[in-house]
Amino acid sequence: MLWKDSYKLGVEAVDRQHEELFKRLHKFLQVVRGDADKATRQEEIEKTLTFMGEYVVTHFDSEEAIQKKYNYPKRKEHHQIHEEFKTEVGEFAEEFSKNPNDDDLLQEFSGRLLTWLISHVTGEDQKLADYITKGDDK
Amino acid sequence: MKADYLNPIYQATTNVLKSMLNLNVEKGQLAVREAFVSTKKANINIGVTGELEGTILFSFSEEMALAMVEEMAGMEMKELDKFVTSAIGELANIISGNAMANFSENNYDCDIVPPQIIIGASKTISTATDQVLYVPLHTSMGDFDLNISIREN
Repeated sequence: MLWKDSYKLGVEAVDRQHEELFKRLHKFLQVVRGDADKATRQEEIEKTLTFMGEYVVTHFDSEEAIQKKYNYPKRKEHHQIHEEFKTEVGEFAEEFSKNPNDDDLLQEFSGRLLTWLISHVTGEDQKLADYITKGDDK
Repeated sequence: MKADYLNPIYQATTNVLKSMLNLNVEKGQLAVREAFVSTKKANINIGVTGELEGTILFSFSEEMALAMVEEMAGMEMKELDKFVTSAIGELANIISGNAMANFSENNYDCDIVPPQIIIGASKTISTATDQVLYVPLHTSMGDFDLNISIREN
């Protein structure tokens, strides 16, 4: 399983969404790394990618609402990081729909996605949680 | 090359590996080398531009690269394929981004260029300086090293 309790930030609403997001990422990676036939695979990948893309937007919006509520000083930077991520996922989805047989492109994106999401949750999101739970704005 | 270029990079490395993978890093004996040569199989080359200029080479053993990605993905990884190298390339990219933030606190304004993956030991890479700082590192997932060639622009 991809999700770890150590990724929990102590902010329940965010943790629940992160767990859900990681579940979907896990499902996506199982298809990407699996050996289903080409057609099934492409269909599954496009479906999960759309699903995950939508979920990421919902999650980012709700995280940004929490930041607003707590008047988080790094709101602007955090929003910028979310926007760049959405752009990158959108660009990949478009590229992949044009080149569904380019496995290198898919593997390369998926590896980056995995590291990026874990780094974001344990890095930037942890800073947000520290601010909310401890008032730490470093 | 100034040795104080090491700390911002080393700090970023230990922080990121601790928070993402709960890994503790032990530093071995530093050495100054004349050539920039990969010592291990999975290498990521990150260019530094701006007020500081040069290269950071992360050289991971195959064992460590696979173990890190297995830990993150919760799946078995058998070889250094595109998925694995891309995941560790992004890891080196994140570490280097954090290192640049540390440099900016020391009033050096610099940026990084996207990671370049180099597979294989004993590969020579061109450098900005004639001296390379070699830093061997040990973790419970395996060994890796940092090779730093940076000068003031």
